[in-house]
Amino acid sequence: MLSSLRSGVKGLWRTSARSLQTTANLQHDSLFVHRDTPEDNPSIPFEFTPENQKRADALLEIYPEGHKRAAMIPLLDLAQRQNGGWLPISAMHKVAELLNLPRMRVYEVATFYTMFIRRPIGKYHIQVCTTTPCWLRGSDIVLNAIKEATGCEVGGNSPCGKFSISEVECLGACVNAPMIQVNDDYYEDLTVEDSKEIINKLKKDEKPKPGPRSGRYASEPLGGLTSLTEPPTGPGFGLQDSLK
Amino acid sequence: MLRQPLTRALALSPSRVAPLAARKFAAQADKVEVFIDDKPVYVPPGTTVLQAAAEIGVEIPRFCYHERLAVAGNCRMCLVEVEKSPKPVAACAMPVMKGMRVKTNSDLTRKAREGVMEFLLVNHPLDCPICDQGGECDLQDQSMAFGSDKSRFTDIHFSGKRAVEDKDVGPLIKTIMTRCIHCTRCIRFASEVAGVDDFGTTGRGTDMQVGTYVEKMFLSELSGNIIDLCPVGALTSKPYSFAARPWETRRIDSVDVLDPLGSNIVVATRTNEVLRILPRTNEEINEEWLSDKSRFACDGLKRQRLVTPMIADSRGNLTPVEWEEAIVAAATALRDCPPDKLLVVGGDLADAESLVALKDLANRLGSEAVCTEHYFPLDGAGTDLRSSYLLNTKIANVEDADFVLLIGTNVRFEAPLLNARIRKAFIHKETDVALIGPKVDLTYEYTHVGDSASIVKDLATGTSSHEVLKRLENSKRPVVILGADQLKTSEGPALLAYTQELALSLQDKLENKEWKVLNVLQRTASQVAAMDLGYKPGVGEMLQKGPKVVFMLGADAGVITRENLPKDCVVIYQGHHGDAGASIADIVLAGAAYTEKNGTYVNAEGRAQQTLPAVTPPGKAREDWKIIRALSEVVGARLPYDNLEEVRARLAEVCPSMVSYGDVQNNNYFAQARALAQSLQKPVSGTLDVQLKQLEDFFMTDSISRASPTMAKCVQAVIKQKQSPY
Amino acid sequence: MSNSIVKLLALDKLSNLFNMIKQNGGIRGSLYKLYRQEELKDGVLVGEDELGNKYYENPRYFYGRNRWVEYNDKAYLDYDGSQVTAEWYGWLHYKTDLPPHKDPSRPKYKWMAEFTENMSGTTGQYVPYSTTREKIEPWVPKQKSSA
Repeated sequence: MLSSLRSGVKGLWRTSARSLQTTANLQHDSLFVHRDTPEDNPSIPFEFTPENQKRADALLEIYPEGHKRAAMIPLLDLAQRQNGGWLPISAMHKVAELLNLPRMRVYEVATFYTMFIRRPIGKYHIQVCTTTPCWLRGSDIVLNAIKEATGCEVGGNSPCGKFSISEVECLGACVNAPMIQVNDDYYEDLTVEDSKEIINKLKKDEKPKPGPRSGRYASEPLGGLTSLTEPPTGPGFGLQDSLK
Repeated sequence: MLRQPLTRALALSPSRVAPLAARKFAAQADKVEVFIDDKPVYVPPGTTVLQAAAEIGVEIPRFCYHERLAVAGNCRMCLVEVEKSPKPVAACAMPVMKGMRVKTNSDLTRKAREGVMEFLLVNHPLDCPICDQGGECDLQDQSMAFGSDKSRFTDIHFSGKRAVEDKDVGPLIKTIMTRCIHCTRCIRFASEVAGVDDFGTTGRGTDMQVGTYVEKMFLSELSGNIIDLCPVGALTSKPYSFAARPWETRRIDSVDVLDPLGSNIVVATRTNEVLRILPRTNEEINEEWLSDKSRFACDGLKRQRLVTPMIADSRGNLTPVEWEEAIVAAATALRDCPPDKLLVVGGDLADAESLVALKDLANRLGSEAVCTEHYFPLDGAGTDLRSSYLLNTKIANVEDADFVLLIGTNVRFEAPLLNARIRKAFIHKETDVALIGPKVDLTYEYTHVGDSASIVKDLATGTSSHEVLKRLENSKRPVVILGADQLKTSEGPALLAYTQELALSLQDKLENKEWKVLNVLQRTASQVAAMDLGYKPGVGEMLQKGPKVVFMLGADAGVITRENLPKDCVVIYQGHHGDAGASIADIVLAGAAYTEKNGTYVNAEGRAQQTLPAVTPPGKAREDWKIIRALSEVVGARLPYDNLEEVRARLAEVCPSMVSYGDVQNNNYFAQARALAQSLQKPVSGTLDVQLKQLEDFFMTDSISRASPTMAKCVQAVIKQKQSPY
Repeated sequence: MSNSIVKLLALDKLSNLFNMIKQNGGIRGSLYKLYRQEELKDGVLVGEDELGNKYYENPRYFYGRNRWVEYNDKAYLDYDGSQVTAEWYGWLHYKTDLPPHKDPSRPKYKWMAEFTENMSGTTGQYVPYSTTREKIEPWVPKQKSSA
């Protein structure tokens, strides 16, 4: 907004446009530096639960001595799952401590991958695919319906604190477009009604059935097979007679 | 990840680990032939194309590659065409292969460079006129040499250039992160050389940034080196910001005196003012690094200076006087003093010329009480054999060691660049380190044997059951480094004797007869020269006699105070800073600091080096040996030298090695020193403690750094950082 | 006719001399003026400026010498060209023929600074001073108490 203000002012009043500074547009919707907040700061302790500690130990077991840092991504994921879908800075510190690495090495990994979320998010993280195939199949209306149903903007949390919406690139379910991902589950072949129903169920903390909504089992053609409907022909099919 | 694992990257090229051509202990390998621009060159396998090109003087442009850091290969500036390769290859990361034909100046190569340069400049701000790096910027130089002459960048009104917020990394380094081109040299330096893993890259793609992620300052004793490493103006010197352009400054090669290693430096001056100090490459001592104290304490040269001679008036207040008056007053005091009541003390920063002149003067007046501030045991061989007070292994050879035993020294802060060498050996050669003394952070892992002095005795006598003894005995190139501070106590002689015993019994067993094991690390730049010249270490004995006149040549360590002197004692202080010494003086003679005189300093290895005058001494201050020479005339004990050559001739008479600048002589008579020390092997019971434990202790250790506002800021920053949760 | 005779006999010069002496305050006054200004002239008083300097004109004199200033008596021998005020400077140097009090196009604003003469060479002169910090800060010894 500031930048448009600047260009506006620049048009009107050429000389003073310089004094109006704007920061550059962020290309990414998360920040790559840490800011202490009441929800996320290093004085909030983070410990793995005994159960997860066991898992962590098992993960560490996989990797040979001297290459334990390879367990960093699984450990960060474990910490994120334990913490309700986002990764606080104390969890990164904990992982660094487990791996005996400088904290910076963990920050680097945690900021590199978009699936590590470093801000508090809702219980249900709804990732709406808006890449070309889904977009062609109507992901925009699906997204709007979800926004309406949750009252939440893209990249933000809903007022009730239960939902967060992200717009994501291709999640690899193009055949079942449009689709969304809620936490670990894919909901595919969506219509506006489907998305609303999913949100309503989630609001009641019921788990909607994952998978395609069009009645398909997976990614098979919707109206029955159009090819490969008969047994394959044998060798020599279609050859001219003289070659038979 | 941008970085390759250290070990792999380093295994790639043996010649990078040992850049010294004259490295005695490095292995040689068969060589392969490659052609750079059709010129044949023979290099060991594993050498990179870039290094092979450098062999025959073809310089390939680069940003991320640095010969003392691991290869990153992410800037792509070093792309060259290799025959039969479908694409240009990154010369810095490509090992040579037999018969490889590299074209460093072909159309393809030039086009590749131009393309890379264009991409780098897309997000680099055009703020060269206000950038401190301007004039010494790799990006500027290389865009002139290899870049395109026109720009295709038209996006400025749409998405603009990338902008990154600046980081606060402490009082020494100013960051303008928008200028960063992500070469990651600073990150690699921090993690490999400095051992403070605070830097990294966060995010990815166009939003990637170099930084610390959390709000944390980069506090290390070597942090200033990332300013030199940064090829652009992203990391610049905070104290030097907006001070001068590189082409305005005069650069004078000199030697640092703020630690005992005598790092080689370049003093940049303009209009008779020291603006900054940069390291000068010397593979034998500091490679191309410099510790923060040596680099940034230069603003201390402008504060708290003694600019005029002073004499205490009737009320005891020092008042400025003319030289004549001061010299006459000092001469009167010296002449009226009975010879056995005269005490002469050489300080931490004194040059050899003034030390020899002062000693000659004292001797002519009949006094033998010519001392330094720091004690060294005089029992046994004492200071007669050079081997017992020097770093005999030599600094550069320490990186070839396979086991290092540190006794009562925090090398990291007493000699930061020696510690960098040990760390280099630790990382690249898997050298192991053990420490006897208080547990301190040395930036690498070490075996802590304990802090009791009796451990040294047990190790020396072979009665220790600690694994370290076995490790020492099994190692082929062990190094034992003893901190000279430990020798100040009453148990000092015994500790030295045991260390000699331990080191020399190890040395005798070695196959390599040239390898020296025993090292004593002095704390100050002048101590070795003073002992070479025959100064008696320590003033304790002389103080008890109750001197009538004390002549202090820059003695600011606080060993001599008004409390431990008789009431009527006259204190003459000659030096360049108003510090501990000048504040107790009755007569102050204003001398020159190390950037203002041509002085000889002998470093901890026994290497004589000279400083060159970069600026003139301030006000009425004069070169130190000249003041002493003038004083001798008035006292009536005229010294027989009138110019620097004659003083140095006198130096050569006393100690010939002191005028062979840059060289270091091999030490001998180890066995004799050991034999003389046999009788001193008495039981020891004390604990070893070091003076500099934490980073905040490091910054202010002498009169120059104590006067430096930058160093004070550093101390504050370290204390502030300690309160931070990161 | 009589004029030419007067001229021939140089009597006009004589009358001019008497005129001058008369105008300059008799013999005493004339001698004083001669002493002070090394010149004796007669002319029409054109005006006086705020410093009390008097401006005269006499077209009888050659161009370049026909306008002059007699400095305020207070200045005595310490008069100086820079004491001619800015508004009279133009008239005195033939930039204009209108003396300032008769010139309608000379506005006087409140913000105009008062005229000051050039003080160079006197104690009131402007001396530039350095505003930069000393390169070297000397050590100041701690003063012991006077006891």
